[in-house]
Amino acid sequence: MSEMPGLVEHVTCLGCGCSCDDIVVAVRDGRIAEARSACPLGSAWFGDGSVPTDIRVRGAAVSIDAALDAAATMLDEARRTLVFLSIDTSCETQRAAVAVADTLRAVVDGVSSSSVASGILAAQRRGRVGATLGEIRNRADCIVFWGTDPAARYPRYASRYAPEPAGLFVPDGRRSRTLVSVDVGDARGPRDADLRLGIPVDRELGAIAALRASLAGRSLGEHPLAGLADLSRTLAAARYVAIIYDAEPGALPPEPGRAESLMALGLELNATTRACVMPLRAGGNRLGAEAVLTWQTGYPMSVDFSRGHPRYRPDEGARALVAAGAVDAVLVVGRPLGLPFAIDAARTVVVGPAATAAACAIAIDTGVAGIHEGGTAFRMDDVPLPLRAPVPGPRVAADVVRDLAQRIAARRARRS
Amino acid sequence: MTDRLRITGGAVYDPANGVDGDVRDVCIENGRIVASLPNDSPRLDAHGMVVMPGGIDIHAHIAGSSVNHARRVLSDERTADPAAAPDLLDAVGRSGTGGTVPSTFTTGYRYAGLGYTTVFDAAVAPVSARDTHAQLDDTPIIDAGFFVLMGNDAYLLQQIAAGERDRARDYAAWLLGATGAYAIKLVNPGGVELWKRNVRAVKSIDDANGLSGATPRAIMETLADAANALGLPHPVHIHCNNLGMPGNVATTLDSMRALSGRRAHFTHLQFHAYAGGADKPWASGAKELIAYVNAHTEVTADVGQVMLGHATTVTADGAVEYLLHASSGRRWVNVDIELETGCGIVPYEYRDAAAVASLQWVVGLELFLLSDDPWRVVLSTDHPNGGVFTSYPELIRLLMDKAYRDERLKGVNQKLLAGTALADGLSREYTLREIAIITRAGPARQLGLTSKGHLAPGADADITVYARDVNVATMFAMPRYVIKSGTLVVEEGQLRRAPATHRLHVRPQYDAAVMRDVSSWFDRYGTIALANYPVAPPRDAPVPVGASA
Ligand code: SF4
Ligand SMILES: [Zn+2]
Repeated sequence: MSEMPGLVEHVTCLGCGCSCDDIVVAVRDGRIAEARSACPLGSAWFGDGSVPTDIRVRGAAVSIDAALDAAATMLDEARRTLVFLSIDTSCETQRAAVAVADTLRAVVDGVSSSSVASGILAAQRRGRVGATLGEIRNRADCIVFWGTDPAARYPRYASRYAPEPAGLFVPDGRRSRTLVSVDVGDARGPRDADLRLGIPVDRELGAIAALRASLAGRSLGEHPLAGLADLSRTLAAARYVAIIYDAEPGALPPEPGRAESLMALGLELNATTRACVMPLRAGGNRLGAEAVLTWQTGYPMSVDFSRGHPRYRPDEGARALVAAGAVDAVLVVGRPLGLPFAIDAARTVVVGPAATAAACAIAIDTGVAGIHEGGTAFRMDDVPLPLRAPVPGPRVAADVVRDLAQRIAARRARRS
Repeated sequence: MTDRLRITGGAVYDPANGVDGDVRDVCIENGRIVASLPNDSPRLDAHGMVVMPGGIDIHAHIAGSSVNHARRVLSDERTADPAAAPDLLDAVGRSGTGGTVPSTFTTGYRYAGLGYTTVFDAAVAPVSARDTHAQLDDTPIIDAGFFVLMGNDAYLLQQIAAGERDRARDYAAWLLGATGAYAIKLVNPGGVELWKRNVRAVKSIDDANGLSGATPRAIMETLADAANALGLPHPVHIHCNNLGMPGNVATTLDSMRALSGRRAHFTHLQFHAYAGGADKPWASGAKELIAYVNAHTEVTADVGQVMLGHATTVTADGAVEYLLHASSGRRWVNVDIELETGCGIVPYEYRDAAAVASLQWVVGLELFLLSDDPWRVVLSTDHPNGGVFTSYPELIRLLMDKAYRDERLKGVNQKLLAGTALADGLSREYTLREIAIITRAGPARQLGLTSKGHLAPGADADITVYARDVNVATMFAMPRYVIKSGTLVVEEGQLRRAPATHRLHVRPQYDAAVMRDVSSWFDRYGTIALANYPVAPPRDAPVPVGASA
């Protein structure tokens, strides 16, 4: 039997870092029938809203109480625990997970250390020039897509933020802006660019250095790439430049120096005009994990509580610690997919969406933040958005993690 | 929980109620001050000690997107200042890191450890209000609120340019409620929008600079009037144009004159009190500025003292931070925010060997020492801009102890100090009563907090008990007891409890007709659905406004 679909409006999609919040979710029989306005990536992220609802300890179905007790025991007895903030969790859940790590004197890390660490470290060394997406949409008259066509992994970026929409200072939308595509090797920018520049992979940093030199009034160097002088002039003549690149792995050729070089270019452009550099980031509220870690510990990733206070260990993130066999228990909070380490089944607890799909000792299925659970998530530009819960889920991750935190704290209190 | 408590035998400083060091008991029941208690109630012996209301910080940067950007960029400095979890009786203590911009838990614990129980974050971008509330939820012990940035909001600038003052007021009222804010904040009115347009200087408050009619004067007038018409507990809170520039005292005085007769709060006066400029060397403009403030009772202010040592400049005033970055060569963060405001960050150090830093230090002290009315000129360092809040005890010593101040004065760079009032010798020493005013009763009155900053029956039982010390910095750095909402949070100098906190916010009425216009603005220029913009209303009831205030 099928009811009329119920409509849930203003739903935020976490399918990518665009975090479009204009999705209308049609719900029929407790399932998602359609995610209107979502792009194909977003529709796939919403799916039909069905998630596993189980709780397992070493394969056997148990009560939530038994699973949490088992998890508290295992984590409390471990010498060194890794708490890993995976994707598809709300900030509320992340806050509770960092509390667990603090109590356990564990290491806490998220997906950023194995994907965008070079950019985070560069900003810490050098500073950064950023902007929220609304500023780029309304003001940027020169959009530089650096080795990046957002269409593939950020499908609605172009239509919601730039270059398509009309904005307060770019009233004719795309026509009010100069669109620049910098192709880095095979990583190509948008097809319809007004200005196009190709850079061989091994000359990328050199090209950025040459641009910086030329903007500072020096020469482009001895054998400048074709088009570099044009780009330099275009940047200098723009009112507000947005340099946009895909910071997540897999799109551009790996280049650890790119983030810092582009940031240096952006910083220096501000001597004469206005500019920002925008790293594109994927979905699942990974920016929320960085924000929460930063406000609770002072550091955005790779935090070690083993001495009873946060220490920043960017060289010893989750991947390195697990590879070195340095942890004897792991708590994954969030979806157990795309982890930067292999799960050691005997020593791992997963609390998150489809936890029971992972081979692990203790698994507690929860809803997906933004589909079954409300709360807060951060867009790729650090703007916080509310999450709605268009369909009901098994249990709320934040509640589960808070309960776990209490059980661990109670065990510790009994001992002391 | 301390349901009942009698604090006995302390010298009580409660200037709002005319109590000046009299030895008397203070009685607490269910989180509030009461007139009396049964004789068998629990007692806290405060003989020989000093009892004051809990400290109130009217202007600090402790929670919000800009503060978090600052924390993140300061990863290097905080390794030197780890903060272990306190051993609490009523909650699981949380560890953190300090430095100039501590993590949230550490912020709450350190404020409480200083005897401060209420703090306002002075600059929150509306679009990030949700972030600020979440960070304040993780800031223990202290009650908190924030001021929401409106001085460069593109929608407001359009209304002001068009002379639509009623609509501007209605929008401001809506925005206060939608963000869960406490007051209206203006930062470099108009100047941040100009910075985004690459116009880097505001020549005068009548310089529209392409903002049509939205001059700094019109922005200040419109929003000062809006705050007063709405009956907000705190008037418009203004960070003037030209912060940190030599000669800016002229702009500051123009701004004050522009709002003559209107209630308004001018913040971190020290950063706006410089003479000189235009080929003349930097000089103090403190005498001139404070003379105006002394003579105009509609003006309230906080000083924004510079403390020699490490600081982090973090402000919505992006243009200023670019200049600081360019002149100091230090790391710089800029974030332009959503047609609303800006954010700039530069880690900084005020060195006593530096001429300008020394002048700034002197200017702040002059403002304090030449102020006639402690109720209207209160203590701040614009944490962490002028100095970190943990330096307040040192600042109090500078105000109370002339010999110490003179000694410190000898150690700073003298180049720009000739002819300053301080160098000529200011003999004033603040009394404990005056300290209680500039750190408690005064901020409470300026903020319109009727149940804080004093100890009459009905007031919140937020109380600090200090053991006297020959060094007043030691006394103020290490309170013996701190009570928050009736709960003993610091006992024998140790942090022991972290009770629930309250959010201070307002929700003024407005003519809902404005929302049609706002809705179409969001449709055209927003990146967030209007329905997703307001934060969830805070648990605590709003502070009353208007006739009911
Ligand atoms: S662009 Fe990204 S956030 Fe927007 S609907 Fe597609 S997947 Fe979701
Ligand atoms: Zn400030």
